[in-house]
Amino acid sequence: MMPGQCEILFQFCLIGLRRLRGRYVKMSKQLYNNQTIAEYLLGSLPEAEAERFDELSITNDEFAETLKAAEKDLVDAYVQGELTGVELERFQFHYLASPLRREKVDFAQAFKVLAEKSSSARSAEAPSEAAAKPSKKTKVSGWSSALRVFTERRLALQWGFAAMALAFLIAGGWLALENVRLRRQISQTQARREALGQREQELQKELEEQRSASAKTEQELAQVAEERRRLEDDLKKEQHLQRVDEKQQPSRPDEGLVASFILTPQMRGIGQVPTVSIPASTEYVAMQLELESNDYPAYRIALVDPSNNQVLWRSGKINATRNGKALSVRFRAGLLKRQTHLLQVSGMPASGVSEVVGDYPFRVVR
Amino acid sequence: MSEFSARKLEHKKNWALTPPAFERLLDWLDEGESSDGRRYLEMRRRLVAYFDRKNCSSADELTDETLNRVARRLEEEGTTESDTPAARYCYIVARFVFMEYLRGAQKDRGLSDDLRRQPYGNIVAGSKLDNEKETQEKLLNCLEHCTSKLDSLNRNLILQYYTGKERVKIESRRVLAASLGISMNALSIRACRIRDKIEGCVRQ
Repeated sequence: MMPGQCEILFQFCLIGLRRLRGRYVKMSKQLYNNQTIAEYLLGSLPEAEAERFDELSITNDEFAETLKAAEKDLVDAYVQGELTGVELERFQFHYLASPLRREKVDFAQAFKVLAEKSSSARSAEAPSEAAAKPSKKTKVSGWSSALRVFTERRLALQWGFAAMALAFLIAGGWLALENVRLRRQISQTQARREALGQREQELQKELEEQRSASAKTEQELAQVAEERRRLEDDLKKEQHLQRVDEKQQPSRPDEGLVASFILTPQMRGIGQVPTVSIPASTEYVAMQLELESNDYPAYRIALVDPSNNQVLWRSGKINATRNGKALSVRFRAGLLKRQTHLLQVSGMPASGVSEVVGDYPFRVVR
Repeated sequence: MSEFSARKLEHKKNWALTPPAFERLLDWLDEGESSDGRRYLEMRRRLVAYFDRKNCSSADELTDETLNRVARRLEEEGTTESDTPAARYCYIVARFVFMEYLRGAQKDRGLSDDLRRQPYGNIVAGSKLDNEKETQEKLLNCLEHCTSKLDSLNRNLILQYYTGKERVKIESRRVLAASLGISMNALSIRACRIRDKIEGCVRQ
């Protein structure tokens, strides 16, 4: 047959089998029994029926399992000498023709030996057990004794399973409780974590504020340091200039930087105006004004030109000396001219308006 | 034969199963449920048994040919007929392979038929080896070893299942099925599976 023809035949088979498919499925349940399966295995079934079984052996899981089991039973029957007549003949002629199937027979024979050995071993154990535990049923065959052992094992297994189930139940309960406890613990931990987070934020805020304040303080400190440095520079310059002046103008015995005088209060109608002689190089004039009485916590002194009542200079707040009898004041000598001047003292009460408490006139000569 | 048909035939002859094609075949046999290759192994077992029941001399090779053709079709078409389940499609291809095998075997049919019709006892008598007993002993040792590897429940079940002869055996199985709370048929299938496991172990 040519390949093209083979392909056509194949497609034909495919279509035909597909049409029959539904019918086969419906029939599959009624198609076989142990007898027909045995006949199938021994090659005794009619060809059409054998083909149906062929298909089922591949396509139907249930049939495939049943066929496999039935084949084993058939081989076992042969091995145990249970096949007779036509069946035995078919088995020898048909079934044993295949090396694969002969292997199955070999295996079944070995298995038979093993089962017999096992059976006789159990039979030997059974009488000794019966002697140890006499019961009502004294006549027990080997296999049923073995079966009893087997069922006892089942009972033990059942108890074992029950114990295991109980253990699982207890373990499950314990796990559920543990789960609840852990959930609670987790929620507490979360709350603590949130509180800590909040506290952290507050501390961060405080830290930032402190940093900001610190920066401000540092700025102020820098300003103060700058001011101080500037003042120190000024002082150094002043001192330098002073030293230069001192070097350029050698000091004389009748000349000084500060001229000091003591003035008494002007008495009404009597006395002369005191004269103060101020050297030309004098820079400052220091006056000590004696007080008649110390009635005020503080005083203020003004240098007045009496010719026109013009205030040439005014002091800040001045306290009386320690003994309370005088006031000390100092002003620039340049303010004084060769004429009469007046130092007017005003008392400053703790509250209220200041009032003139005395005049201290003096005449300047140079 | 047209040039196209000739090319197609050449392609079929030269086609070999590649790892991707094999993967596709496994997926297709699984039919959407991953079985880690179990469906493939089961399908292979069924096909080998099918060809063997048909008295084909090389059941393994014919099975490989069948599965290769399915894999090739999957590679060429992307899929098979959409309404054909995987197992049924495999059967159709297997049947086709079997028919080809029959045609090819017609030449030496006489010889194979003669061989097939010869009783096993005669074949064995002619070719029995001196070390057969030793082989049988070895097989038994393997069997004992593999049975001991089963868990106690399955071991007891399988030994109990094969205990006794004729009526004793049938009664024993009935009691066993009742104690397990299953039908005789279910017991038979369960025992069969355990035995398959042991057979697999022995082969290893």
